[in-house]
Amino acid sequence: MTGRVLRWTGLAVVGATVILAVVLASRFGTDPGLVDSPLLGEPAPEFDLAGLDGSDGTALSELRGDVVVVNFFASWCLECREEHDDLVATSESFADRGVTFVQIGYQEAPAESLAYLAQAGMSAATLYLADPGSRTAIAYGVFGIPETFFIDPEGTVVGKIIGEADALILGATIDAIMAGERPGQRITGDTRQRPDP
Amino acid sequence: MSERIRNVATVIVIAVMAIALVLLTSTQPADVDRVEQIGLRIKCPVCQGESIANSPSPMAEDMMDLVSERVAAGVSDQGIIDELLGSYTGAVLLDPPASGSTLALWLAPMVALALGVGVILWWQRHPGSDTHDPAPPVERSRTRLLTGGVVLILAFAGIVVVASNSLQDRPAEAAGAAALEGQDLSEVSNETMEAVVAANADNPEVNGMRLALAERYFEVGDYRSAFPHYLLVAEDPEATAGEAVTALVRLGWMAYDGNGEVETATRLVDEALAIDPRSTVALYVRARLRWCGAGETDQAIETFEGLLTDPGLDPETAAGIEADLELARDGGECP
Amino acid sequence: MLAFLGSAGVLAALIGAVLLVLRGIRLTRGGDADLKSPANLVLAGALVAMGAMQIALLSDDFALAYVANHHSVTTPFPFDVATAWAALEGSIVLWGLVLAFFTWVTVRRQGGPSDRLGAAAVAVMGGVAIFFFGLMITVANPFEVCVDALTVGCAGSSPWPFAAIDAPADGPGPNPLLQNHLLMAVHPPVLYIGYVGLTVPFAYAIGALALGTPGPEWLRRSHRSTLVAWSFLTLGIAFGGWWAYEVLSWGGYWAWDPVENASLMPWLAATAFIHSGLVQQRRGMLQAWNFVLVISAFALTILGTFLTRSGTINSVHSFTQSAIGPALLGFLVLVLVGSFTLFAMRSHLVASSPRIESFVSREGTFLVNNLLLTVYAFVVLIGTTYPLLLEAFTGTQVGVGEPFFNRLAVPLSFMLLLTMGFGPVTPWRGAAPGLLWRRLRAPALIALALGLLVALTVTRVGWAILAIVLGVFVIAAIVALLLELAINRTAKSQRSVLEEARTVVANDQAFWAGQVSHIGVVLVAIGIAFAANLPLHAEVEMSQGDSVDFAGFTLTYDAPFRRNEPNRVVEGVRVDVHRGGRLVSTLEPRANFYAGVTGGIVTPAVMTRPGGDLYLTLRNLDAETVELGLDTSPMIWLLWLGGLTTATGGFWSLSARRRERVVEQERVLADV
Repeated sequence: MTGRVLRWTGLAVVGATVILAVVLASRFGTDPGLVDSPLLGEPAPEFDLAGLDGSDGTALSELRGDVVVVNFFASWCLECREEHDDLVATSESFADRGVTFVQIGYQEAPAESLAYLAQAGMSAATLYLADPGSRTAIAYGVFGIPETFFIDPEGTVVGKIIGEADALILGATIDAIMAGERPGQRITGDTRQRPDP
Repeated sequence: MSERIRNVATVIVIAVMAIALVLLTSTQPADVDRVEQIGLRIKCPVCQGESIANSPSPMAEDMMDLVSERVAAGVSDQGIIDELLGSYTGAVLLDPPASGSTLALWLAPMVALALGVGVILWWQRHPGSDTHDPAPPVERSRTRLLTGGVVLILAFAGIVVVASNSLQDRPAEAAGAAALEGQDLSEVSNETMEAVVAANADNPEVNGMRLALAERYFEVGDYRSAFPHYLLVAEDPEATAGEAVTALVRLGWMAYDGNGEVETATRLVDEALAIDPRSTVALYVRARLRWCGAGETDQAIETFEGLLTDPGLDPETAAGIEADLELARDGGECP
Repeated sequence: MLAFLGSAGVLAALIGAVLLVLRGIRLTRGGDADLKSPANLVLAGALVAMGAMQIALLSDDFALAYVANHHSVTTPFPFDVATAWAALEGSIVLWGLVLAFFTWVTVRRQGGPSDRLGAAAVAVMGGVAIFFFGLMITVANPFEVCVDALTVGCAGSSPWPFAAIDAPADGPGPNPLLQNHLLMAVHPPVLYIGYVGLTVPFAYAIGALALGTPGPEWLRRSHRSTLVAWSFLTLGIAFGGWWAYEVLSWGGYWAWDPVENASLMPWLAATAFIHSGLVQQRRGMLQAWNFVLVISAFALTILGTFLTRSGTINSVHSFTQSAIGPALLGFLVLVLVGSFTLFAMRSHLVASSPRIESFVSREGTFLVNNLLLTVYAFVVLIGTTYPLLLEAFTGTQVGVGEPFFNRLAVPLSFMLLLTMGFGPVTPWRGAAPGLLWRRLRAPALIALALGLLVALTVTRVGWAILAIVLGVFVIAAIVALLLELAINRTAKSQRSVLEEARTVVANDQAFWAGQVSHIGVVLVAIGIAFAANLPLHAEVEMSQGDSVDFAGFTLTYDAPFRRNEPNRVVEGVRVDVHRGGRLVSTLEPRANFYAGVTGGIVTPAVMTRPGGDLYLTLRNLDAETVELGLDTSPMIWLLWLGGLTTATGGFWSLSARRRERVVEQERVLADV
């Protein structure tokens, strides 16, 4: 009798193992660090930040009516540097179409971000803002950079790109939003979390 | 002293000491730092599993500042947690809530403990028979061994394959130049294409997209917007022959049609023909320039006829050439 | 050349392993076969492989892709030796070498054609070896040659040793975190001996099941290996905690990090196994349970390796994602499915066994101990894997961290401490009424009295006091038992208590070695209770010459410094520590900057004193000021001492065997 119980226990373990193994195996392709943003479909968190150069602040609510693209960056982030030209080009390209680009420095002294931008090039149509205390980054749930958020003219977060973006993805996302769609979240690559390894 | 009294006395002393200890330890000052307590429950999002209270990273410090502020403002523990959950989702918590999807996690240890106790008690009450069932002889059959082995190998292989497949399904890398090839551009706005070609200006593969963008402007007659793009392609030493020809011809046409500059137009089209003497579109435009600009109608007619004999001519262009041919033959003015 | 040598070594070991499996099976079926030669081949191959790797590292041979990607000419000795196991492929070489050694020893213990159990065990070990050496030939090849060099490091490699080599001039060196402390060189090999050692009892268990001959033999024969593995595993975990404390600037020795958990789970299972194994050896019970335990312990080592290496769970330790994940998962499934199917098939053989007469007995306490340890291991397992499983099934993401584990581990640990007090003084079969009371009342009194003393003088934190009370209880009970047995003997002989005490210990060294381990665990518990509950913390910003008072010390910022070392630049500050007007020490909290790595690795400065450690961490350094994190870790040295003591008990028990058998009779009579 105990023998039977043991036998069934053994076989139960075998069954459970196989199920769990299949589950674990299916996880292989995914990055364990990635999270779905709960902000999608929700009103975008408000912010009112000064420029990196100390100039007057801009509030998100002032930009209501435009499609707003919010990108978090830092000079120590390799992927941010790679996507920089694309951000500048897209910003200029959509400048008169009711799209405003906002780039917010992340975990970096404003002076350093500014120095980097001076060398990498800035778009006249983009707002470059400082985020003291990382309050905005926290409010947007930034896990690493680069992360880019898309806010529709009504102020709802409708898109997010995790990782390095390029002009095509940026433009296509903006096109979709202007056509009334909600592109959702898209992962294009890795993000960086801090300057140290 | 009798044993019994000694025992009772010992019990009393033990009890008294234990109570004293409990009282002593439970009256410690409750200097619980609420901020730290909350911070210990929140994972630093840019660290590997540390709490924001323990992590030295600047982001963790910023988050702790936020928590401090909220605590000082009188927000409840759960309120602060909920605020962060609104931005970050459940993965930012180190302490899973005792509800919903993590309820199982909380219950599991108790269940395991109860199960363990149950198993021990059950085992105690059900002694196995002392006589073994006559053990089925340990099968030495080869087939069984082989089947078992094969099944195991298959299971092993199956898992490996499933897992490797999921490894293949990783999200695609950031687009970059590769995205420029073979993209369905019909959905993409002009602004997007402008941005793409601007951002990839030093990449010769962008010429295809650049021409497509320029074509869009050209077709709606926006020569001003089309011009810089055609110019860039025409002047690009890395552009393919076909791309250069197209650009030059378009430039030539725009020079004539937009500004009436026949000489400039002719020069540009001749440049195109120098690259590809048999380019249909170049020849066609050249012919039209001859007809409309220089009044050499006969030569134009000749060229038109020659073009129409080309079997590879597409119907639209053919129709255009035919219409022009007819008009020219009738001696009409060039439109 | 070295690539060829290394690959040849791996191949030879693989061939040897295959031969071991085939010949081992033949032996179990009644044939005869020479197992020693294949075992020698496996060991020789593994030695050649590791040797080739070491030579390549020590001679800066960047033709090997592994060396090119993980070593640098500036890496100092002994970190270049340790680079062999600093990254994925190299660590498998180490695993293979340890496994080869254990296999070789198992073959030596195999007693010829009549020893079918030994042969079966050898075959199982050979099978495991096939897997690991197979990994080295396929997905985790440490001897690939670099065919596409970068300025630093290797961009592309080929497994063919004679491919056209394009070696870089230098490599990036090992991960800076792994170069900061000498313990890095030691922690992995010690830990691996622990992990791999558990293969031996597993092999004997599977052998016994496969042959259909369960009983005490497989347990008895693998007992020593189990103890060796357990002792090294204990030591390895202690080293890991020590290293984390000294190097990682958060001052923590345990963070319930998935890889740390991966080492704890097999340890818990192995500890339970050692105890319940004793029950089987003495009373013939719990056979089926022992099989389950040993299979689980081995499976947990593979699971742990899988979780560390496959990238499925983020952790400080994780080697990045690679193709080794699917292979390890497949092997884990193979082990579990194969073992439990075998178990199910032989269940009728292991089912019957005597039951315990009374729960108030040594067997009873061992049952409680096993229950607690198993639940503990289960808690760690489920906490570690739950986020993974939940996300795979439902897509929701949750985090499970320290608060969850502490909430459950703390009560479980205290219950285990309590059981440790009762267990050793409870006789086998059943305790005479009043015996336990007689043996434990004095320890209880002493424990409570000491607890009161500490509560009145040092601290009133509940957890710390509880740890003291239970810890003293356990130690007092052990000492009381020793005295009781010694005094009983002096009644008959005329020698001193001390001499009799030594005889008592010598008569049952295994038991008393176990008590040493218990004492070690007590020390660990007290150390943790104090360090976790009583630390002080402050963040300060100082200009040069400033002083600050902290934890009874006066800390003065003396000067910043910058040192150039061969493989790094060290920047930090000198802080003078005064107490009572006297200079006690000068500490140098610093950050190490390695070439090619942005940002520095912060290395804390630790000052160890009897009352606890003073711990300084560099937060920020600029021209005017320095920001420091100040921490104390009270009594933390108890933790390291406890860890070492626990392991020592395990090692000491290894020398116990012979004498124990001789005086078996005597012990039974004494009814300890």
